[in-house]
Amino acid sequence: MERSDIYILCIEDEQEVLDAVVRDLEKLEEQFPVETANSAEEAREVIEKLLEDGKKVGLILCDHILPGDNGVELLIELHKDERTFASRKVLLTGQAGLDDTVKALNEARLHHYIPKPWTREDLLEVSVSLLTDFVIDEEDNILPYMSTLDAERISESIRTRRSISDE
Amino acid sequence: MKSGYSGLTPVQLTGLFLGIFGLILPFLLPLGSLSFAGQIGLGIFLMAAVFWMFEPIPIYATSMLVIFLQIVLLSAQGPMFMDAKLPSAEPVQLQEHTWQIPTRALKDDNTVLVITEPGKTEAVRVDVVERNGQHVIVRSEELSSDRAIVTDTGHRLVNYRPNSYTDYIGTLANPIIILFLGGFMLAEASVKYNLDKNLTRYLLSPFGSSPRFIILGLMLVTAALSAFMSNTATAAMMVTVILPIIAQLEPGDRFKFGLALSIPVAANIGGIATPIGTPPNAIVIAALTEYGKSISFTDWIIVAFPLVIVMLVFAWWLLLAFFPPSVDKFNLDMKGKINLSPKAIGLYVIFGATVLLWVTENQHGIPSSMVAFLPVAALVTGRILTKNDIRNLPWDVLWLMAGGISLGIGMDKTGLAVWMISGFDWGAMGYITLILAFGLVAVAMSNFLSNTVTATLLMPLVISLHTSGVMGDSFNLLITGIVIAVACSLAMALPISTPPNAIAMSTGIIRTKDMAKVGVIIGAVGVMLVLAYAVFYWPLVTN
Repeated sequence: MERSDIYILCIEDEQEVLDAVVRDLEKLEEQFPVETANSAEEAREVIEKLLEDGKKVGLILCDHILPGDNGVELLIELHKDERTFASRKVLLTGQAGLDDTVKALNEARLHHYIPKPWTREDLLEVSVSLLTDFVIDEEDNILPYMSTLDAERISESIRTRRSISDE
Repeated sequence: MKSGYSGLTPVQLTGLFLGIFGLILPFLLPLGSLSFAGQIGLGIFLMAAVFWMFEPIPIYATSMLVIFLQIVLLSAQGPMFMDAKLPSAEPVQLQEHTWQIPTRALKDDNTVLVITEPGKTEAVRVDVVERNGQHVIVRSEELSSDRAIVTDTGHRLVNYRPNSYTDYIGTLANPIIILFLGGFMLAEASVKYNLDKNLTRYLLSPFGSSPRFIILGLMLVTAALSAFMSNTATAAMMVTVILPIIAQLEPGDRFKFGLALSIPVAANIGGIATPIGTPPNAIVIAALTEYGKSISFTDWIIVAFPLVIVMLVFAWWLLLAFFPPSVDKFNLDMKGKINLSPKAIGLYVIFGATVLLWVTENQHGIPSSMVAFLPVAALVTGRILTKNDIRNLPWDVLWLMAGGISLGIGMDKTGLAVWMISGFDWGAMGYITLILAFGLVAVAMSNFLSNTVTATLLMPLVISLHTSGVMGDSFNLLITGIVIAVACSLAMALPISTPPNAIAMSTGIIRTKDMAKVGVIIGAVGVMLVLAYAVFYWPLVTN
């Protein structure tokens, strides 16, 4: 499996939890490299660096309670930035109150909310589904993602969008 | 996979430089008999071939570049030939059969070029009597004072009458391109209103739940759809049908290989069945039509359909032999409901009427390209397709075909095609050996190259074998052309051979070696079958 330039970014302040998330995403990591950050500040730096290198941020899994700016604030900020507008955004948390969650939904167009504790199957399923959305929307050549992501939806998109033609 | 403009792979970079080198190469070599225009044509041909092989730019971009270079470098209005006039004069008669001509009118082989009609000359042998600086005195019984001779035999217009640039850009409106446009619009509307999916559901139901017959059903439906729609879109749609079936199998079950391979195999073969099935057919039909060997939609089906059926049944048997079913029964549960909105019904009517008119071309005589404008006009008039749908059409494929047709015109007009086949004793080869050779070369090439590109590169040779007459009376232009078209579609040994192969491979279900095994056998058996049809059947149904 060839590494793509689409990254998954996990933001979580507790190292053990962060390790668990990364471990659960192992199956995807071969194609979608995983980057981590412990705070909103660090996440911004990681994103800047990736974008500078010409990489894309495909999926952001973010905890809500973080040192400094909280997760919802970070996601809203990333939603407003056109370079990370298309990134799929997931709030992975047990502590976001209703107000924060509503705010994330309305202002950051949150793509998914995963309550803690999560299961590996759930996390993988959500990640695969959102990365499928991302590659269908953003990538010219989606064939390399078929075997890792949702093959049925990728085929369907080839059929309807004619991203590949007879030659 | 291919990278974008951000970076060319080393192979692409090599191709870029080789292609540019190919463009100027003919001017660096002594090519003797090839005219100046032929040298330009050869340069464009070499560049296009290299670009199509290495893909430093997309293949449709190469096609557009071909047309651009032709209108600039070869057309009558381009800077090369804009003001050019063939220098000519009548020979001066000194005595009977004795003429004075300018020194530069005499070629090294003691011939003089007599202008027979604009752009055409005839070489006439003369005996040199005396040379005196600017002039030569020659003896000849064939010269005449009312027939002009070329006074500069090295001139770039010798044996070349440039086409108008409109001939090259006009390839985009070639009747065969319009035929494909009609097909593309029908396909676009079918996808939009899910006609392809619903038809699949309906057509698959009689095949029951036995795995053997489900595979047969899948292959027949895939082939039928890809005969009228894009092979790629059909394969993508059928992949969504087989994935749920494969999910029912045990992870180690080898039957899934056969199931997943059946789709690209049937999609590739299905394209052979009609003129609009796949782009290589267009290249061949356009070239044949140019030389008075037009083939109607009906005739094409009469020629190709029996071959398609035999190939499909063979491929079915082959897949079952390699990957026997492990279970007795499948659930083929296809969701969906036939769309009965007024627009969808409009589409069904237009689709049915168009296909009916196409396949009955021999009965009513209306050319299929004219019929193709029925869906073009009706689908937009009925707002079944909108502006956005039209923008979504595969214009790249139309340009790819147009560029291929244009390259063929240029190769013929510049004398390049005839020059390329000279120097080899084709006549000694025999017609049947020739067909076999073309079939094998076409399959081999299009396993690595685009099928359309393969047809584009081979057709000019077939045409010049016809026009030069080196093959004698046994040579049949129409059948040789059909062999090329069919053979191009029989290449399916590698993931890169065709887009349906690439899609099937990308699912991660099949292994490359399985595809290669099945693809090589189908290619080899296919070529033999094509040879048999070309010798025994096609002569009976064509004239």
